[in-house]
Amino acid sequence: MVNKKVKCPKCQHIIEIQGNPGEKITIVCPKCSTKGVYIFPKKDTARDLKEEISGNIAIQVRSLSKTYNSVKAAQEVSFNVKKGEIFGFLGPNGAGKTTTIKMILGLTHPTAGEVYINGRRMHSDNVEVKKEIGYLPERISFYLNLTPVQTLNFFCELKEVNKSVVPEILKELGLQDVANRKVGTFSKGMIQLLGFAQAMIGSPSIYVLDEPSSGLDPRWMKVIRDKIRYLNEKGATVMFSSHILSEVQALCDRVCIINKGLLVAEDTIENLNKKLNIKPKLIIKIKEKEKISSKDIEDIEGVYEVQIKDEEIIVACDGKKKLQIIEDIKKIGIDIKDFQTIEPSIEDVFVKLLEGKNECQKGHGNCKKRVHGQCKK
Amino acid sequence: MEATIATLLTLSSMLLPIIGIMLGYGAIAGEAESGALSVVLTYPVKRIDVILGKFLGLSCVICASVFSGFGIAGIVISIATSATEWRGYLIFMALAILLGILYVSLSLFFSSILKRKATALGAGIFIFFWGMIIGTIWLGIYAATGGSIIELYTGKASFPEWFWYELFLSPQDGNQTATLLAFGIKKIMGISFDIPSWVNLGSIVFSQLLWVMTPLIFAVQFFKRRDI
Repeated sequence: MVNKKVKCPKCQHIIEIQGNPGEKITIVCPKCSTKGVYIFPKKDTARDLKEEISGNIAIQVRSLSKTYNSVKAAQEVSFNVKKGEIFGFLGPNGAGKTTTIKMILGLTHPTAGEVYINGRRMHSDNVEVKKEIGYLPERISFYLNLTPVQTLNFFCELKEVNKSVVPEILKELGLQDVANRKVGTFSKGMIQLLGFAQAMIGSPSIYVLDEPSSGLDPRWMKVIRDKIRYLNEKGATVMFSSHILSEVQALCDRVCIINKGLLVAEDTIENLNKKLNIKPKLIIKIKEKEKISSKDIEDIEGVYEVQIKDEEIIVACDGKKKLQIIEDIKKIGIDIKDFQTIEPSIEDVFVKLLEGKNECQKGHGNCKKRVHGQCKK
Repeated sequence: MEATIATLLTLSSMLLPIIGIMLGYGAIAGEAESGALSVVLTYPVKRIDVILGKFLGLSCVICASVFSGFGIAGIVISIATSATEWRGYLIFMALAILLGILYVSLSLFFSSILKRKATALGAGIFIFFWGMIIGTIWLGIYAATGGSIIELYTGKASFPEWFWYELFLSPQDGNQTATLLAFGIKKIMGISFDIPSWVNLGSIVFSQLLWVMTPLIFAVQFFKRRDI
C-alpha cells in the first residue's frame, strides 16, 4: 500500500489517498465534490530488483532473448545463481548455453532482457562488474609464443592486479614446472588449466566456465572438476555449462536446463527427480529366465514397472521398499544371483524433461533418440 | 635526389598499404574467431579502449618499420651521395607513415564489421586495388569523354579540373602526389603538369587524415555493438 496526498484542482483541498502501485482510483473531493482519477505509479522495477538481489543472488538473468536473423538462440531465459553455490547450466549441444553465457558476460548483446551481477546491471562496458568475474570460454586461445608467466602477466595488467600473484596461481594449478615453456608446446589439458589460471587472476567472486572439461580425457576432466570444487571451497560462486551429465551430478548444488533456447527447468537435482517422479531402479540378475512372469513381479507392492531382459529383471520401484521387493521376489521362487540399485540420475531427468519438448524431427512421438537428434527410425 | 625519391615512393606506396592491411585485418575478426578476444573483453576494459589500443599499437608498428626500413636507407643514401635534403626525407617518411596508418585504419574497420578473418582480408585486398586502379579508371573516363592521352603526354593538353579529385579518392596516388609536392617536384617522367591551386600538400594531407579518422570512427561504433 502506498499513501499519497493529492490536491483538488478546483478547491485546492488536500485529500489523502491509499492504493497499490498501478492501481487506478476515483476520487471525489469531500469539499466541492469534484470527481477525479488518480493512477498510482508502477513500481520502479530496476530499483526493486536491486533491492531484491542485493542479498544472496550472484547472477540474475531476467528474460534474456537473443535472435540471430530468424534463429531464436535464447527465448526469455530467466534464472538465478545464488552466492556460494556451484550452478550447472545444462543442455544439449546447440541449446543456447554459450549464447546465454556470452550475454551474461556482456560479450553478446541481448535482443531483450537484462543481467544483474551482484545486484548491478551488466553491460559490455561495465568495468566495475567485470572485475568480479572470471571467465573460461569454451575454446580458449593464447599467444603461442608467450610463456604462461608472460601470458598471465598480460592479464594481470588488464585487470590491474599486482603481477606477484602469478607464481602463486601457477603453483595452485600445478603449472609451476612449465612456467617458462612456450604455450605453443602445451597439451589441450594444460591450455585449459592456463585458462583457469587466467580466470583466477584478481580472485573474482564469480566464475563463469563454458564447457570447462569438453574435449579433455578423463584424467584431465578430474583435474578440472577438482579445481571447480577448490574454487567453490574458497568461497566463490561457480556457474558452468556442460552437456556431460555425470559431471554436473557430481558437482552441482543446483542446475538449470536449457533446450532450443528455452529454459526447461531450474532446481536441485533431488527436487527435479521428485517433481518428475523418477524412480530408482533395481537390476536383478537371475539364473533361469523361464520361470518368471512379469505379472507376478508387478503385483509386488512398491513396484511400478518391470522389464525382463535375458538374465536381468529391471524394476522401477519405490526407493524405500527396495529390500522388501527383493525378499518378495525371492518368495515367488526366483533365484537371485546378484542385484544392483541405480539411483535416479540427471540423465533420467534430462531425458524426461526433454521428452515432449523436443519433438523428433521425423515425427516419431516416443523416440528417445531424438534427445541426441539422431533418430534413425 | 628526385630519382631517389621517385624510386622509394613507388616502393612505399606499394609496401605500406600492404603492411597496414596485413597488420589490421586479423586484429578483431581474427581474435574473435580464435576466442582470444572473448577473454580480453571480460576483463575490466572498455571496448573503445581495446580497439583504439589496437590502432595505436599497430600504428607504432608502422612507425617502427618505416624508421627501420627507410631510415636506414636514408642514412645509407646520404653517406653514399652526401645528399643533404634530410628535411624533405623526413617529410617523405612522415607521409609514408601516414599512408601505412591509413590502411591500418581501413583494415581495422573491415576487421570490426566482418565476422571472419578471411573476408576481412578480402576486403583489405579490395581496398588496396581500389587505390591502385582508380587512376586508370579516371584516365579511361578522360579518354572516353574526348580527352587525348597522347596530347597529355606531349604537353599539348592538361588534365581537366575534375581529374584532380582522383588524388582524394585514391590514398596511394594522393600520398605519392603529396610527397612530390613536398619536394617541389612538378615533373613526372619529363612531363610537367599544371596543378590547380586547391591541390596542395595541405589539402591532400587533410584528406588523408580524413581517410584515417572516418574508418576508425566507424570501426569503434561497429565494434561496440559487435557480438563476440
